[in-house]
Amino acid sequence: MAQIFNKSANNIAKISMVAVAVLAGTAFYAYTQIARSSYLTGRYMERQQPVQFSHKHHVGDDGIDCRYCHQTVETTASAGMPSTQTCMNCHSQLWADSPYLEPVRASFRDNKPIEWRRVHDLPEYTYFNHSIHVAKGVGCSTCHGQIDNMPSVYQENTLQMEWCLECHRAPEKFIRPKSEVYNMQWEPGSIDDTKRRSLKDDYKIRSKEMMTSCSTCHR
Amino acid sequence: MYRNRSSILARIGLLATVIAGTMAAGCGVRFDMQDQPRYKAYKQNEFFADKLSTRAYPEGTVARGRLNDNKAFYTGKIDNPNPNAVAQTTTDAAGNTVVTSFPDAIDEFPLPVTKELVERGRERYNIYCGVCHGPGGNGDGMIVRRGFPRPPTYHEDRLRKAPVGHFFDVITNGWGRMSSYAYQVQPADRWAIVAYIRALQATQDPDAILNSTAKADQSGTAKTPAAAATTHGGGK
Ligand code: HEC
Ligand code: HEC
Ligand code: HEC
Ligand code: HEC
Ligand code: HEC
Ligand code: HEC
Repeated sequence: MAQIFNKSANNIAKISMVAVAVLAGTAFYAYTQIARSSYLTGRYMERQQPVQFSHKHHVGDDGIDCRYCHQTVETTASAGMPSTQTCMNCHSQLWADSPYLEPVRASFRDNKPIEWRRVHDLPEYTYFNHSIHVAKGVGCSTCHGQIDNMPSVYQENTLQMEWCLECHRAPEKFIRPKSEVYNMQWEPGSIDDTKRRSLKDDYKIRSKEMMTSCSTCHR
Repeated sequence: MYRNRSSILARIGLLATVIAGTMAAGCGVRFDMQDQPRYKAYKQNEFFADKLSTRAYPEGTVARGRLNDNKAFYTGKIDNPNPNAVAQTTTDAAGNTVVTSFPDAIDEFPLPVTKELVERGRERYNIYCGVCHGPGGNGDGMIVRRGFPRPPTYHEDRLRKAPVGHFFDVITNGWGRMSSYAYQVQPADRWAIVAYIRALQATQDPDAILNSTAKADQSGTAKTPAAAATTHGGGK
């Protein structure tokens, strides 16, 4: 019976084995990059909002504290969004005729909430809670970036599981004194490693095992 | 033979395509786990006309623990106000009417004034009030510099003499062009803010400091925020 394969087929077989490995590796690498890309995580994407609200003006220039508008950030899972009444505290008097504020006045008149579009949105199979992070010295800017410089909010981090875990494995690298949580100008370099570790003890942050247990975030 | 084999291949190919297609349709494009049929805060809810999934209490109901029957604590008003008492007013230089007496406001804090309370008050004051009233209570906050009507300074005689219940009432119900802060500041925090305002006033009122330091008791619980602030070195 005649040979089906020529002797050179041995080489082709070897090369194709290598090629498959390389291709699979490349494909996997491409997959991880695509999965982390801002296209899929929504990172850096700005949303068109019903009102051109600017954190740069209100926080950066006017120095309003986050909690003036996001009242529940210290007490509940959700940071809370300002009611229309909160805007009207100031805008009933200030810029009361500005066309940019017409949607706010309309919302106040008709008693209909302003429909802000979400910027950060975790999948619903994960559990996240603001109050614990704020109470244990994780600053807003660690997760949300320089909000005080953002004319329109975008997502600074991927919010993927690996991002949460990077901190949950070693929170002492990221925490700060509780008094600085709302300080957007705080520099991570302003305290040293010993101070960080003592903060971790002071705030009674639990062990790495508990912080990275699946049921902490998937419950 | 030849034809037979190719038809088997074709069938396997078809089967594989169907399986792959079902798998892709089954897992690639479904978001049931991502968007579950339950409501988180701020999720849009088509069931209610206002589309809010966070519901307000129905009118006329009281949540457990929210009876708020301690009138002094929750309103800053005395229990049986004299129905004939009228608030006195004067007219200031600009022609505005200014209220100078507050007959139905309580004048004693309905909770112990401690150092912690004044500290808490400082923090809350700087979040909710300082933007307009200024860090020192002079009415020169950032928002005022941007054009908001200027509030009176806390260091005028009228407000120094005003009972604590009046300050509580201003936060709860608003005053003139200032809106109510009841939604943003809970009752206990309102008293903390009032205690801090008293401490602020004391820092610019030497008499008050001298008097209240003399009166401060030993237990560390002072009768007035000025004393709490001075005996513990808090205040400013
Ligand atoms: C004057 C009110 C106000 C203040 C003060 C304020 N915010 Fe906001 N914030 C808003 C409003 C309104 C929105 C929704 C519109 C938007 O996304 O731009 C918002 C949105 C956000 C979002 C995005 C929410 C989402 O949809 O995912 C983040 C994050 C945020 N704020 C963080 C902060 C931080 C941090 C501070 C303090 C440095 C702060 N905010 C101070 C009013 C305020
Ligand atoms: C504590 C006072 C305060 C609150 C509360 C506040 N603002 Fe403002 N807002 C300001 C000031 C001051 C400016 C002027 C900004 C500047 O030039 O620095 C402004 C400017 C604006 C402008 C631009 C107006 C124009 O004509 O250029 C918009 C839009 C606006 N605010 C929306 C909002 C919305 C929406 C809210 C509620 C979430 C809100 N603001 C809450 C004080 C406030
Ligand atoms: C540990 C990281 C982390 C810190 C610290 C943090 N946030 Fe967030 N924030 C998130 C995540 C994650 C979401 C998205 C939550 C979701 O989709 O359920 C979010 C969402 C928000 C939202 C949208 C409304 C909501 O609650 O879903 C606001 C507003 C907000 N954050 C403000 C703040 C402010 C103000 C601070 C500082 C006091 C802060 N955040 C600190 C991670 C953080
Ligand atoms: C920069 C640091 C940091 C990041 C980023 C971070 N966390 Fe945390 N997280 C902490 C700290 C610190 C605690 C407090 C742990 C303790 O008290 O023992 C905590 C606690 C929690 C808890 C509370 C556990 C409990 O039992 O109550 C949950 C849930 C949680 N994190 C979820 C998340 C999720 C989901 C993300 C990503 C979206 C995230 N965290 C990102 C630092 C972080
Ligand atoms: C610190 C919080 C945290 C812990 C601990 C955690 N996860 Fe996650 N997990 C997340 C977040 C946030 C997401 C959403 C990621 C996204 O949106 O891309 C996620 C997503 C997932 C997904 C969906 C696939 C994906 O990446 O999108 C799986 C599966 C998963 N987690 C399994 C686990 C398992 C198994 C464990 C325990 C070994 C675990 N998680 C522990 C936060 C956590
Ligand atoms: C948006 C700016 C603004 C903020 C924020 C604000 N106020 Fe005022 N406040 C005013 C203005 C304006 C007046 C003068 C009102 C008038 O007479 O029409 C005033 C008046 C007052 C008065 C004097 C009432 C009287 O008898 O004349 C007190 C007391 C007061 N505010 C307390 C507070 C406290 C406490 C807070 C924080 C919870 C606060 N304010 C937050 C603007 C503000």
